[in-house]
Amino acid sequence: MQKKMKNSCFISSFFFLSVFYLLILIDRSAASSSINLLGVSPQDLSYYSGSSSVIKCKDGSKKINKSQLNDDFCDCPADGTDEPGTSACPNGKFYCKNAGHIPVTLYSSRVNDGICDCCDGSDEYDGKVMCPNTCWEAGKMARDRLKKKITTYSEGVTLRRKEIEQSKLAAEKDAAELTKLKNEEKILKGLVQQLQDRKEQIEKAEEKERLQKENERLQKEKEEKEKKDLEDKESDNNAPDTGNTGGVTTESTDDDHIGLVEDSPPLEDVTVHGKSVDEHQHSDDNEEARSSSEGEHTATEEASAVAPEAGIDTASKGDDASDNTESLSKEELGRIVGSRWTGKKSDQESAEADSAADDEDHEEQTKNIEDEEYNSYESETEDEHSTYDDEEADDHVEDLEEDASEPTSSSYKYETDDDSELTDISSRSNPSWLEKIQNTVRNILQAVNLFQTPVDKSEAARVRKEYDELNAKLSKIQSRISSLTQKVKHDFGSEKEFYSLYGQCLEMKENKYVYKVCPFKQATQEEGHGSTRLGSWDKFEDSYRIMRFSNGDKCWNGPDRSLTVRLRCGLKNEITDVDEPSRCEYEALLSTPVVCLEEKLKELQDKLALMNKEQPQGHDEL
Amino acid sequence: MKYTHNLYLYLLVILLVAPHLTTVFSWKKDEFRNCNQTPFCKRARSRKPMSCNLIATHVEVSDGDLKAFLVPKNQENQEEDQENQEKGEIHSKALILSLSVYSDGILRLKIDEDPSLDPPKKRFEVPDVIESGFLEKKLWLESVENKGGLNVVYLNGEYEAVLRSDPFEVLVRGKDGKSVMSLNSHGLFDFEQLRVKKEGEDWEERWKGHTDRRPYGPQSISFDVSFYDVSFVYGIPEHATSLALKPTRGPGVDDSEPYRLFNLDVFEYLHESPFGLYGSIPFMLGHGKSRGTSGFFWLNAAEMQIDVLKDGWDAESSITLPSGQSRIDTFWMSEAGVVDAFFFVGPGPKDVIRQYTSVTGTSALPQLFATAYHQCRWNYRDEEDVQNVDSKFDEHDIPYDVLWLDIEHTDGKKYFTWDRALFPNPEDMQKKLAAKGRKMVTIVDPHIKRDNSYHIHKEATEKGYYVKDANGNDYDGWCWPGSSSYIDMVNPEIRSWWGEKFSYQEYVGSTPSLYIWNDMNEPSVFNGPEISMPRDALHYGNVEHRELHNAYGYYFHMATAGGLVKRESGNDRPFVLSRAFFPGTQKYGAVWTGDNTAEWEQLRVSVPMVLTLGLTGLAFSGADVGGFFGNPEPELLLRWYQVGAYYPFFRGHAHHDTKRREPWLFGERKTELIREAIHIRYMLLPYFYTLFREANVSGTPVVRPLWMEFPSDEGTFGTDEAFMVGNSILVQGIYTEGAKQVSVYLPGEQSWYDMRTGTAYTGGVTHKLDVSEEAIPAFQRAGTIIPRKDRFRRSSKQMENDPYTLVIALNSSREAEGELYVDDGKSFAFQQGSYIHRRFVFSNGKLTSINLAPAATGKSQFVTDCTVERIILLGHSPAHKGALVEPSNQKADVEDGPLMLRPGRTPAVPTIRKPGVRITDDWTIRIL
Repeated sequence: MQKKMKNSCFISSFFFLSVFYLLILIDRSAASSSINLLGVSPQDLSYYSGSSSVIKCKDGSKKINKSQLNDDFCDCPADGTDEPGTSACPNGKFYCKNAGHIPVTLYSSRVNDGICDCCDGSDEYDGKVMCPNTCWEAGKMARDRLKKKITTYSEGVTLRRKEIEQSKLAAEKDAAELTKLKNEEKILKGLVQQLQDRKEQIEKAEEKERLQKENERLQKEKEEKEKKDLEDKESDNNAPDTGNTGGVTTESTDDDHIGLVEDSPPLEDVTVHGKSVDEHQHSDDNEEARSSSEGEHTATEEASAVAPEAGIDTASKGDDASDNTESLSKEELGRIVGSRWTGKKSDQESAEADSAADDEDHEEQTKNIEDEEYNSYESETEDEHSTYDDEEADDHVEDLEEDASEPTSSSYKYETDDDSELTDISSRSNPSWLEKIQNTVRNILQAVNLFQTPVDKSEAARVRKEYDELNAKLSKIQSRISSLTQKVKHDFGSEKEFYSLYGQCLEMKENKYVYKVCPFKQATQEEGHGSTRLGSWDKFEDSYRIMRFSNGDKCWNGPDRSLTVRLRCGLKNEITDVDEPSRCEYEALLSTPVVCLEEKLKELQDKLALMNKEQPQGHDEL
Repeated sequence: MKYTHNLYLYLLVILLVAPHLTTVFSWKKDEFRNCNQTPFCKRARSRKPMSCNLIATHVEVSDGDLKAFLVPKNQENQEEDQENQEKGEIHSKALILSLSVYSDGILRLKIDEDPSLDPPKKRFEVPDVIESGFLEKKLWLESVENKGGLNVVYLNGEYEAVLRSDPFEVLVRGKDGKSVMSLNSHGLFDFEQLRVKKEGEDWEERWKGHTDRRPYGPQSISFDVSFYDVSFVYGIPEHATSLALKPTRGPGVDDSEPYRLFNLDVFEYLHESPFGLYGSIPFMLGHGKSRGTSGFFWLNAAEMQIDVLKDGWDAESSITLPSGQSRIDTFWMSEAGVVDAFFFVGPGPKDVIRQYTSVTGTSALPQLFATAYHQCRWNYRDEEDVQNVDSKFDEHDIPYDVLWLDIEHTDGKKYFTWDRALFPNPEDMQKKLAAKGRKMVTIVDPHIKRDNSYHIHKEATEKGYYVKDANGNDYDGWCWPGSSSYIDMVNPEIRSWWGEKFSYQEYVGSTPSLYIWNDMNEPSVFNGPEISMPRDALHYGNVEHRELHNAYGYYFHMATAGGLVKRESGNDRPFVLSRAFFPGTQKYGAVWTGDNTAEWEQLRVSVPMVLTLGLTGLAFSGADVGGFFGNPEPELLLRWYQVGAYYPFFRGHAHHDTKRREPWLFGERKTELIREAIHIRYMLLPYFYTLFREANVSGTPVVRPLWMEFPSDEGTFGTDEAFMVGNSILVQGIYTEGAKQVSVYLPGEQSWYDMRTGTAYTGGVTHKLDVSEEAIPAFQRAGTIIPRKDRFRRSSKQMENDPYTLVIALNSSREAEGELYVDDGKSFAFQQGSYIHRRFVFSNGKLTSINLAPAATGKSQFVTDCTVERIILLGHSPAHKGALVEPSNQKADVEDGPLMLRPGRTPAVPTIRKPGVRITDDWTIRIL
């Protein structure tokens, strides 16, 4: 039996094979005449074609005779070393040359299984099925697609370089600004401190002055009393007394007034406003993130505390329902019970029982359209696969993208508070700004002589005003520092290539929904005025090929929403193919030049070169 | 949004406040009636032993049967309380009893009202279940022997049936006088006869806002059945409980419900609960070491409740058995119908199942693809999703045979239609799968959307094919599509009409590679009482739904399978999966255990559930791998695949709220291990298929409780964590997280070989084994031969021509045997003898292949070129001289080879390399 499998007999017994296939075999036999090298990849040729009559299983487990090579019996079960050309080993790999297209390595379980896997048909040689050689056509298509892809990549690589340059500049700028701001902060802090000290001194002085006055008044009163005692008649003349008491009040009012009245109201307004915004933003950036996640925790906890009772809310509803079913229409009851399986909110449904059916239909319809328009969730990873399908799927998307028809996708830079502040601060950030302030403060400090009583009221007011102003400036700078610090803390990629995506939002409209993806911030799905959070920025994954947004809004009967954005090389930043492969787990594609890597371009070019090289001679005329 | 929020809060408040909602489970206990809330059950359960006063009179043989009247003993005795007085009046009419005997030791008991006394209505007897072939096996009784007040008829050589007259009792006993089974030994028999409603009497029953008009009043039947010399009783699915049925009444059993048999769509069912699930089979087996196995089957489609009574339940009663035999008493209650009961004497477990399936039919032989792995999800959303999942299986080199589409593939849940936005080219999609030998299954449920533009609805309405409500209008219930009506499949004409809907012309978008899934056929009605159809709904022939409820899904399944047979003119075996079932379902297709949950305990309970289905004739069943509801941890999913690979029906399925869980989504290692679990199933397909054929011939299930193979080993009687696949493989599931060790009891005297390592373990001992995540323990029993196909392909189709591996595990006398059944895997040609059936026998150092198939005529001969490429000898010493193949007189090498072709080191065992023999031929191989 073993003998029968020898190469020559082997070939002659399959005379029906295509001429082309025979050519391959002969080609191979020429390389090493006596052994059957079917399914062996060129890299492995030397492994098998040594002069020894014995071959080792690659894992070293066993030595086998060369006659056992491709004899349709698995002797190296771990890796299939001995059966690259048959299906005998489950772990074997079959190499098909696919001249005219790219070579492919198959699981050897695909050999002689009745399905044509290699475009050259070399995997089906037992005569049960005829596989036409389609490598030329398939290869041409693949090459065309590859060329297109290479074009995109070459442009993309350039764009990416620019992007990196810009990112570097922006990052440097931000870093410089941060340094500068920190410096300013330091100085400003000092000034504010000085002013505060001075303010306190003034206040002390004023207090002293007040006490002094009080004493004086008391003294005066005393004197006057004495006077009065002395001259009772003069008691009608009490006005100074009232006047004096009133004086204290007035003073305190004056005190209040210093800031309000004398300062230019708009400025104060701005400051106050600015501050409140800052605070707001702070809480936005930090606390809210925390508190909201806390909030969410609570929500989750609540939910999970309830979860065991799952069927639950619907169930409790159902309970109510079943307890007094009379109060429900048959339809409502049906919906409520059905909702247990579908996970649709029963409360909503019972509340909107009449419209629910339409809604459902509507929803379904929309979903259908979505599904129709969008590619499914898995085909678009750019991982290198040896199968054509992936290649195709990949390109398919690219094509779609190039069509750029619908759904509409757009991007914009969102007006962050940071940005408005940036302009705010940069307008002041000419070098003299701080110096001016320093001078002013110095002048004030010098001008105000607090050791001199009574305190000069206008001077005191100046100090207060300046203090308030500078304090406001300080907190503004601090907030800017904090948001910048926040920003630079992010991972923007090995070359900071994602820097410019910070502060950008990409939008895609899909039927009634608008998907909004803001890298490093969050992603939402908006419908009319409602907005559902698909997730907040979490991290990059898969060496910057994936952006994760997690901890989005809680899903009814499902997980918290999340979004996985797969990045692919494209010429502009664009979000496409939003999909929900698992309930409340969204996926989208983001085309961006940022991931058009040079290595990948090189790889694609090499692949094309290889494909061109493998092209059989003379086929061009066909 | 805000509004919803408030409501949600409001619901939360209700949840937190409502005291009755403290249960942690979501199963809606309150939604389903318990026995106390079910009047007939409550009445029956409150009866005292020996309260039956019926005596058998006018005992005679007529038409080959033993016939008698059952009449109250002391009609004049009116000293009892008023209730009894009333009952006395009710029961004044005689009942007719008949006993028939069938070959192979089967006794049939029928008790019904006397039609000559003009009852208000003929009580319902379930048609279409009993095999016509069975009726031909009736033994015509000629005479009855009267031995001291006992009327004795011959049953078979070793057993006889006895009708005691006073008090009335039916008894099956051995010739040695030892009782096997009996009915009414405790005098609990009661038969509520139909009667005319009296003035002012209220027969209506209300439940959660539903009113059951009960126009025929009380008509329940109850009686006790005793099994003698048994350790446990088994059967009566479907319940998520242990294999050996726990007592439900008696000393120390607090507050337990009877086992309920009422087909229900239970949302998130619990394990360890006697409530009724999707299907009902009123067939119980008793098994004990000394006497063996016996079985009792009550053919009745109304709601049934069954108590297993614990020793001492009738302490007050003075009845003691003369023989001092041990026994288990059970109490059977049904809401309606007649007594049509069968006693099976066994004495072996396989005998009882053979006897039972001779009445209700054996499992249909499934197509080969149906025995392989199925991939399902609610829902694969569109054609692209389908294509992706399909190609991912190939990419990860994981075989699968069938991709399933759930309800979302339809246009608005109108079955036989496609959502053309998602599935614009269903034919192409199916053809693409078919090109790889793969099939598709779509769902077709019995609720028909009440939409005048829907052709099925239009036709069914016009033809009057719907089930009617109590007023005679088309019943309108709520299910997936919203307002729906239900086809009345009880009518054969309607079944035939339904079957036509599966023709390729009518089911647009269907192709020959499309098969069907029947869900929701309990029937599930979201707004009906207990999520089902009102009991006073009316079927063809004026049959009330209460009378046939448990058979509704059976008829639907039957009609669908009939349609698939018809569409290929009887040349293609149907595949239809059903959720609801009834005795006889095995003839029409597979069932699964419904909407389980991704929990370890549900994995555990799936095994006794599947074993119980096998014991009651349904050989082709499985549980959703991974658990339908919820997200399984990767470890649980993996363990489930490892157990599921041995379920007769092996399908992964998931609810649409769950995360995707296709096998490759849990990292490389898990992918590898799930792949291996699925590979094991594919490797064992020849063995499984042989077992399916055995089930088809004899009723013997594919997976079996240990005691079926080791009936006298008491250590196995209560086991349901381990199970047998056929007679050769013992599988022990792992049902806990992070298990490091597991105890396995390996029964019998022969040793067992670990199927992965070849290590031998002594039989009759409990072994404590280390376990890893790689596999669950599985052993080949010494003395058996298992046929395998070790080449891994994309689907079973590509394995068709692959060579076989035979694994011979030698017993202590260095012998072994096994079988292989092969046919074309799809057509009915096997019924004409077109198949290969071999027995492999190893003894005296020689393996012989013997033909078991009858000589087939040339035309119907099944031809294959498949050879045996490898013969593995477990328990054999190394044989370096090789082997001699006869009659070709060729030598084959014997060398040390791997037990399984898998990566990593596998132990080497003596292997005959490439003996080159064909499986169609007779041959011997002698080890030199």
